Amino acid sequence: MNNWIDDNDGVYVAGIGMHAYQFPSETPYTHLGLTAVRAALADAGLAWPQVGSAYVGTTSIGMAAGRVMLRHLGSSGLAVTQVENASASGSFAFRQACVEVARGVSDVVLAVGVDKHGDARRAADKEGLARLSETANVPAVKFAMMARTYLRERGADAASMAQVAVKNHGNASRNPFAQFRKPRTLEQVLASPLVAGDLTVQQCCPRGEGAAAAIVVSGRALRRLGLDAARCVRVRASAACSETPETSYGAAAVDLVRASAHAALAQAGIPAQRLDLLELHDAFSVEELLYSEAVGVCEPGEGAAFLLRGDSQIGGRCAINASGGLIGMGHPLGPTGIGQIAEITRQLRGEAGDRQHAGASWGMAHMIGLGSVAIAHVLSRATA
Amino acid sequence: MTTDLRGFRPQHPTLYQLAPDGESLEFLFAQCPACQKLVFPADVPGCSHCGDPLHGARKVARPGGGKLLEYVTLHVPLLPGMEVPRIAADILIEEGLIEEGVIAAADESALRVGMALRAVAVALPGGETFACRFVPAAGAVE
Repeated sequence: MNNWIDDNDGVYVAGIGMHAYQFPSETPYTHLGLTAVRAALADAGLAWPQVGSAYVGTTSIGMAAGRVMLRHLGSSGLAVTQVENASASGSFAFRQACVEVARGVSDVVLAVGVDKHGDARRAADKEGLARLSETANVPAVKFAMMARTYLRERGADAASMAQVAVKNHGNASRNPFAQFRKPRTLEQVLASPLVAGDLTVQQCCPRGEGAAAAIVVSGRALRRLGLDAARCVRVRASAACSETPETSYGAAAVDLVRASAHAALAQAGIPAQRLDLLELHDAFSVEELLYSEAVGVCEPGEGAAFLLRGDSQIGGRCAINASGGLIGMGHPLGPTGIGQIAEITRQLRGEAGDRQHAGASWGMAHMIGLGSVAIAHVLSRATA
Repeated sequence: MTTDLRGFRPQHPTLYQLAPDGESLEFLFAQCPACQKLVFPADVPGCSHCGDPLHGARKVARPGGGKLLEYVTLHVPLLPGMEVPRIAADILIEEGLIEEGVIAAADESALRVGMALRAVAVALPGGETFACRFVPAAGAVE
C-alpha cells in the first residue's frame, strides 16, 4: 500500500526548538516563538531563507500571528499559514508541514506552535444555541465525569488515577522546558485541592504559555542540504479524524483516540507494542489510563496496572509522557503538539539527558482537541 | 420546596417552558421531518441524528427530565461568577440526546446513576426569571 508520507523521499524532522512552558506573563508572544524557531534552525543547521513555508499553530493570540512574529527573522517571502484546532493546533500545523513536504510543494517547512494564555473564547460558545448548563463546554467537567465513571466501573480508587500525575510530574522535573519542575508524591497529589469530581488540581494541566518549533524536510532536501542524517527523525504516519456518534455513554473520546491512533499505526506498518514512546493528551489524569489502552500499548482494562508495574515509566516497556505530559510539562495549547514532536525527536536521537528512554526507536505523538478532533503522528529513527 | 413561578420568564426560552403546575419544566424539541427523531434544542440548524436541515420541523414540548448518567461536584468556579459547589450531571433527556444539566441538591448523597430526574424551575436572583435544575423524580430535594 502506498504511504503518502513516504513520497518525496520521506519526511524528516531535522530541527527542534523550544521556549520553556511557563505561567502567564508579560513576555510578548513574538519572543516566545522566535526563541523556539531560532533554536530549531540552529539545531537543523539551516538558515531562515532556506525555509519555504511556515505553519503557525496558535489558539489565543489573534489574527495573523505568524507574519507579525516571523518578519523579525527577515522578510523572505515564504508562505505563512495560521492553524487553529484547539489543543491540537500545533499537531495540525505539524501535519500540514508534513503534507506540504511529502507532496513536494516545499522541501523545508517550519511548524511552530506559540501561545499566550488568552480569554478562552470558544466557537462552541458562539453557535447561537443555549445550553441547560453553562459548563457544558468546559473540558474539566467532561473529564471529571469520565474519571468518575472510570473509578466506578473499574472498581478503582482515586490513588490509581493520581499515580499518573506522580509519574508525569516526576518526568517534568527532569525536563528543562517543563512548566512544573518539582516531583510530587502520591500524598501531595491526592491532598491538593479538588477541582471537579475526584480530580485534584495536581491531576489537571496548568494554564500557561510557551513555544515549540520543528523544521520538517524532505529526504531529498536532507541530502541536498547536507544535513546530519543521524540526527534526523523520520515521520512514518500522520492520521487525523473527528468525533463520531459514541458507541456507549462516555465512549466518544476513547473511540476517537483509538480510531486515530490505529490509523496512524496502520500507516506506519507497526503494531502498538512496537512503540517505545507515547506522548498523549493527559490534560486530566484519567485520560492517560484510558488512552494508553485505546492506543494499544497495553491491553484493554490494563491502563492502571500498566502504570503501577512501571511499564509506562522511562525505562519501562513504553515511556508514556516522558516529557512530563500536559500535567507536568504544561499545555499552552498552540505549542503542545509540537512540543510532543520535539520530545520524541530528542528521545529518538538519544539526546534526552537524564530522562532518556534507552534504545528508543519508535514513538507516537497523539493529541485531541476540543470539538472533538484527534491526530496521531508516528516517528522513528531514520534507520528503523 | 415547590414554588409557583407563573409570571416568571425562562432564562433560556428556546430550551424550556413552565408546565401548567407552575414548577415543572417542559423541554422544547423539534421533530426531524426526515428521520422523525427529536432534536434538542429546537433551534439547532441540523438534525443531530441524520443531518437534515430541519426546515419546517414541528416543535414538540415534552415533560422535562431524563435518566442520570453521571454526576460530579464542581469545587471551584470554572467560569466567572459561577457559584460553587454545584453538581453537574450528564442526563439522557431523550433517546440519543445527552445534555449536561445542574442538579438542585446540597450534595451527591441522594443521587444514583440510572435514576430518573425531572426538570424544575428555580427562581434566579432578581425575581423575574427562572432557570432549569434537575431533581430526583421521586421527590424534590432541598
